[in-house]
Amino acid sequence: MMAVLTTLLLTGGLIFFLGGAVGILRFPDFYARLHPAGKLDTMGLLLTLGAMALYTAAGGRLGDWLTAIKILLIVALVFITSPTATHAIVDAGVRAGLSPWMREDEGTEHDLAA
Amino acid sequence: MRRLGLITAVLFGGLLAYATPDFPDWGDPRSPASTHVSPYYIQNSLADTAVPNIVTAVLADYRGYDTMFETTVIFAAGLACLFLLRNFGPRAVESRLYRHRPTGITLRIEQGGDLPENSAEFERIDSQWVPYDLIIRCAGRLVLPFIQLFALYVVAHGHHSPGGGFQGGVIFGAALIFYALSHDLRSTLGHLPEARSLIVAAVGVLIYVGTGVLCLLLGGAFLDYAALAGLLGVDPVMARSHGILMVEIGVALAVTTVMVSLYYYLATAGRLDEGL
Repeated sequence: MMAVLTTLLLTGGLIFFLGGAVGILRFPDFYARLHPAGKLDTMGLLLTLGAMALYTAAGGRLGDWLTAIKILLIVALVFITSPTATHAIVDAGVRAGLSPWMREDEGTEHDLAA
Repeated sequence: MRRLGLITAVLFGGLLAYATPDFPDWGDPRSPASTHVSPYYIQNSLADTAVPNIVTAVLADYRGYDTMFETTVIFAAGLACLFLLRNFGPRAVESRLYRHRPTGITLRIEQGGDLPENSAEFERIDSQWVPYDLIIRCAGRLVLPFIQLFALYVVAHGHHSPGGGFQGGVIFGAALIFYALSHDLRSTLGHLPEARSLIVAAVGVLIYVGTGVLCLLLGGAFLDYAALAGLLGVDPVMARSHGILMVEIGVALAVTTVMVSLYYYLATAGRLDEGL
C-alpha cells in the first residue's frame, strides 16, 4: 500500500520535473522560461520529497519519523525560497530593462526562441 | 614562448602518465593509505576521543596540527584579498545613478554625460541605494534565523554527524551573505563591519592556536587535548572530545568572517559602498 502510494507520488513528481525541463527549453523568452522553472520544479520537489518522507516514515520507529520530519522541513524551506529566487530573477530582468515577448514580436530580434 | 609552454605541459603530462601504473589498485586493502594508520583510527578513535564520527576525530585531533594550518591558510587568503581588492583611494570615475520612476530601471550616468536633473520621471539615488523588494526581504527574514540555527547545529554536532567547523562556518557565512543580498550591504556592514569581521577571523585562528598552547602550558604536547582534563574537570578521553569542539569553534569563526569579507570586497570592487 505504502509502496504504491510512494510510487505514485514519485511518478507525479517526475512528470512535473519533465514538464519543467520541456518548458525551460521550449518557451519563447526569459520570463516565460522562468515560469516552468519556478513553479513546476517546486511542485516536483514537493511530490518527490513527500514520497521519500512517506517511505521513511513507514518504518514506524521514532528515528524514521524524525528523518521524515527533517525531509518535510526541507520541503517547507524550498517552498519559501524557490519562488522567491524566481521572483528575484524576474525582478532583475525587469530592472535591467528586458521587455517581455509579445505575439507581434514574432520574427524580430526579441524572439529568443529562434 | 607558447612552444615552451607546450613542451612543459607535454613533459609533465607524460611524467604523470608514466607514474600512474605505480599507483595501488582502487580500494586495495594492502595499499599504503590503508595499512599504516587507518586501521588504528577505525578501531581506536571512539575509545581514544569519545567521538563517534571518525572523520572529525582524525581531522581535529590526530592531525589537528594540519587543520590548524588549514585555518591559517583561510585567514591568509582573507588577508590577501584585503590587500589585493580593497580600494582605499577616491573613486576614479564620478558617476551618478538615477532611477526611472515609471519603470524602476536604474541608469548610471558617467562623468560628462547628460544628467536628467530636470525631469520629474528620474530620481537621483546615492551609491548605496538598492531596489526595495518586499517579497525578497520577507523571505529573507523568514528563512535566515533557521539557516543560522542550522549552522550552529552543524558546528556543534560535528562529533556525531557529518559537519564541523568548516561546514558550519560556510553555512553561517552564506547566511550573512544572503542577508546582504535580500536586504542591502549597508545593513550587513552595520551588523558586521569590515574591521570587526577581520578581527573575528584572527580571533578564530587565535582560539585554535590558543587551545594548543594551553595544552602545552598544562603539561601536555601541543594540541594534545587530554592535558585539558584537569582544567575542564573531566577524564582525559572526554577532554579530547571537548578540545575538538573548542578548535571547531575557532575554525567556524575564521571561516564565517573570511567568507563575508571576501563577499564585501568582490561584490563592491573593494569600495564597500554599493549595496548589491
